[in-house]
Amino acid sequence: MTVALRRIAVLGIVAALGLAAAPVKKIQFTDTKLKNGLRVIISEDHAAPVFAVAVNYNVGSRDERKGRTGFAHLFEHMMFKGSANVGPGEHPHLIFANGGSMNGTTNKDRTLYFEILPANQLDLALFLEADRMRSLDITAANLDNQRNAVQEERRLRVDNQPYGHTFELIDELAFENYAYKHSVIGSMADLSAATVDDVASFFKTYYAPNNAVLSIVGDVDTKVTLEKVRKHFESIPSQPPPAAVDITEPPQKEERRRTVEDGLARLTRLDMVYKTPPSSSPDDDALRVLGTVLSSGRSSRFFENIVRQKQLASNVSAFGGQSRGPNLFSIVGTVNPGKSVAELEAAIEAEIERVKAGPIEEWEIEKARNNARNQLVNSLGSALDRAVTLGQDALFYNDPGRINTRAERIAKVTAADVQRVATQYLVKTGRTVVITVPKAAPAKGEL
Amino acid sequence: MRARSDNRMLASLTAQAIAIAVVLIASAAAIVTGQMAPGAPGQPPSSAGLVIKGKAPVSNDVLKVTLPKPQKADLPNGLHLMVLEDRRLPRIAFQIIVPGAGGYYDPPAMIGLSSYTAQMMREGTTTKSSQQISQELETMSANVTVGSGTSGTFASVSGGALTESFPRLFELSADVLLNPSFPADEWDRLKVRTRTGLIQQRTQPGFLSAERFAKVIFGDHPAGRVSPTPETLDAITRDAMVEFHRTRFVPDHALIAFAGDISLAEARKLVEGKLAAWKKAGAAKPTTTQPPVPGPPKVYLVARPNSVQTSLAVGMQSMVRTDPDYVPLTVANRVLGGTMGRLFRHLREEKGYTYGIGSGFSATDFRGQWQASTQVRTEVTEPALNDLLAEIAEMRDKAVPEKELMDAKRAIVAGFALSLENPNQVLNYYVQNWLYGLPADYWDTYPAKISAVTAAQAQAAAAKYWDASKIQIVAVGDAGKITDILKKKGTLEVYDADGKAVK
Repeated sequence: MTVALRRIAVLGIVAALGLAAAPVKKIQFTDTKLKNGLRVIISEDHAAPVFAVAVNYNVGSRDERKGRTGFAHLFEHMMFKGSANVGPGEHPHLIFANGGSMNGTTNKDRTLYFEILPANQLDLALFLEADRMRSLDITAANLDNQRNAVQEERRLRVDNQPYGHTFELIDELAFENYAYKHSVIGSMADLSAATVDDVASFFKTYYAPNNAVLSIVGDVDTKVTLEKVRKHFESIPSQPPPAAVDITEPPQKEERRRTVEDGLARLTRLDMVYKTPPSSSPDDDALRVLGTVLSSGRSSRFFENIVRQKQLASNVSAFGGQSRGPNLFSIVGTVNPGKSVAELEAAIEAEIERVKAGPIEEWEIEKARNNARNQLVNSLGSALDRAVTLGQDALFYNDPGRINTRAERIAKVTAADVQRVATQYLVKTGRTVVITVPKAAPAKGEL
Repeated sequence: MRARSDNRMLASLTAQAIAIAVVLIASAAAIVTGQMAPGAPGQPPSSAGLVIKGKAPVSNDVLKVTLPKPQKADLPNGLHLMVLEDRRLPRIAFQIIVPGAGGYYDPPAMIGLSSYTAQMMREGTTTKSSQQISQELETMSANVTVGSGTSGTFASVSGGALTESFPRLFELSADVLLNPSFPADEWDRLKVRTRTGLIQQRTQPGFLSAERFAKVIFGDHPAGRVSPTPETLDAITRDAMVEFHRTRFVPDHALIAFAGDISLAEARKLVEGKLAAWKKAGAAKPTTTQPPVPGPPKVYLVARPNSVQTSLAVGMQSMVRTDPDYVPLTVANRVLGGTMGRLFRHLREEKGYTYGIGSGFSATDFRGQWQASTQVRTEVTEPALNDLLAEIAEMRDKAVPEKELMDAKRAIVAGFALSLENPNQVLNYYVQNWLYGLPADYWDTYPAKISAVTAAQAQAAAAKYWDASKIQIVAVGDAGKITDILKKKGTLEVYDADGKAVK
């Protein structure tokens, strides 16, 4: 009862201030470093009898050497193929058999493993994660099998998809920095070249406890959980820290532009990407609000003016990436039949110039504010979401509590900030444009 | 911290006047506590896909889960109201389900009519433009979707918002439901966007497979409708949409459901206030017919030039939702094509043919479909298809070993228990009761029903629903490389990526 009354009272105050935001509770957590360097973050939430575990390893495709593109992701697959006390496939089998879910995922900046389970299976989750961090089972048979699965994944997502190669080409053209230039999935040739020795040395270097963050969120007791974590993980030996990744990217002096043919596409697509700073930059929040103003929902400028009014494209999206290194602000649109890519490009450029010149309406900024708040409330409904975010923010920014300040940071962004970052970053000389056109179709009746 | 959270939950349970918190898993204790033992008798043969060492600590505690109950009311206009109150977070979601307004009831020449009527309802009302609606909703980070599938029996209006914005969201939603104006210029715009989508979807192997499969399994029955075509889109007029909305978006047999930070009394007040103008129309309860039995099994190839993979789909018609076979087939399907099931273990983890593989089935008022599907590199099309069919045959021909069966049942029950933490998911279970007339205690006894399935029952379900004399095969890929392979599997029909038969 008092809770409800308090909420209404707060609402009354913010309404008087002309704001729509009632405060959302802060996420509490503990942040501990074990003797072997493993960072452990625990956040109790007893709203539901479940918990989530996330292990963020400080390794991604940016750590791959030349000739081994795709290796970080291939390695991720090996993490499900068994360890000293866990058979191949037993880890996922046990998680699903107990009602949970789990997966692993790799990007340029990190490799993430996670599971969600009922509250009574905490020991199981910790045992499984610790066993593979300590003693991964590295065999040629496992490697060959997962190499096949990953090569199929590449075909599924890239080679057999319209615009699949465009996706890879953009990073290759836009970045000069090798770490960020190549795709996460990697090339078929490099995947084929990977050896068991590669797996063993990668494991030793990057899968050390001092190169990872373990986060646990949900219906757990912090003290008991930390004791269990120590028991399972603290004896895993640490390793010398891996070499730092070179994230420098020389300034781009002129526009890069390429037109490519795609045998699987039926419509022309325009991709325009602009160089932006790493997500740790103070400008990141304003760039996110810029993305909202340009393309979030049907009230956005791109939808209203380019999709709905001019009808040049069925959709145009704009979004800032998340990256620990050089970053991109991307704009993607598919040209409607009967319209030209030049018209679409001109219309996008006109909208960008209009943002730079202003004005940006108050409601457009309010939309970004409310989206951020809504996202925070949704995060409170998901233990997994919080486990992943706390761990990742610890790894990327050395700031696990960053989730608690996001909505406030977004709320501080002004129209002037958005105009400023648009003017600073959305410049022609800093961009890369890729136009993907359908390859001429085979003659009628030919297959 | 703990005590406070628990008190809050308890308070919300009391407010909901939930009679009894049901301990669900008690009847399934044997399953939930099943112990992993290395080399236990009855374990499926060890393979590269799964080796059980049995050393990981699995808790034997009985997992106690409560099944929250929605509160219900019947309103004078025929509308059935359901509310699942959950005060844990300051957000509310709602859905209105309108039977009789789905694509099932589209005239054959106007496939897509219900779907576009639904989309157009969001494109302007008698007092608001499309843009005004979008701007107001998105500024408060709320959403409203009016949707209808091309083969489903109902349309839905759904949305969600933070608590403080919800009354306004609901008011806008009511306006969209009751007063759409179907502006002609917005319809022209929607058609342009739609045409682009109709072209784009033909580049996707998944769409091409689904389109052909539905046609093969359901023929011309409405269940076989996967997408409008440019021709049916052209046939749909503004007048037809106005009429479809007027006659079919009626409350007589409809449901409105809420989940989240709201009580039955609050929800009722909102509905009676904002939907007061939604009057009973005297409409008859919509009916459906069963799809015809498909022809003899054949092999269908959809030629997709430049493909480097073959998308394989095999399957047939399934059953209606109330069929008692639903439960044993759920178990059999989990063993075969569920997460970490036989298809995954053998075709991916052992053979490396694919990244993803699985099977599943649907069931509604009329018979749905069962399908197993995967995408494999073109070169292994033949062995992959052989292995896929062999795994299905094994399910028909041999009883599932006891340990493997127990693991599958335990995974279903435990997964069900965990799903109850999400109020929207819980509400969806009760929506199924309402839609298909399942018994009131269906979900209370669901774990017990799953637990009771025997190996013989699972095998009988496999034999009945995965009958070799009924399994149709659809492949999407490079015709030049796979035509001869597919011919070995039966009579072959070939189509191009536009859906036209190729001689």
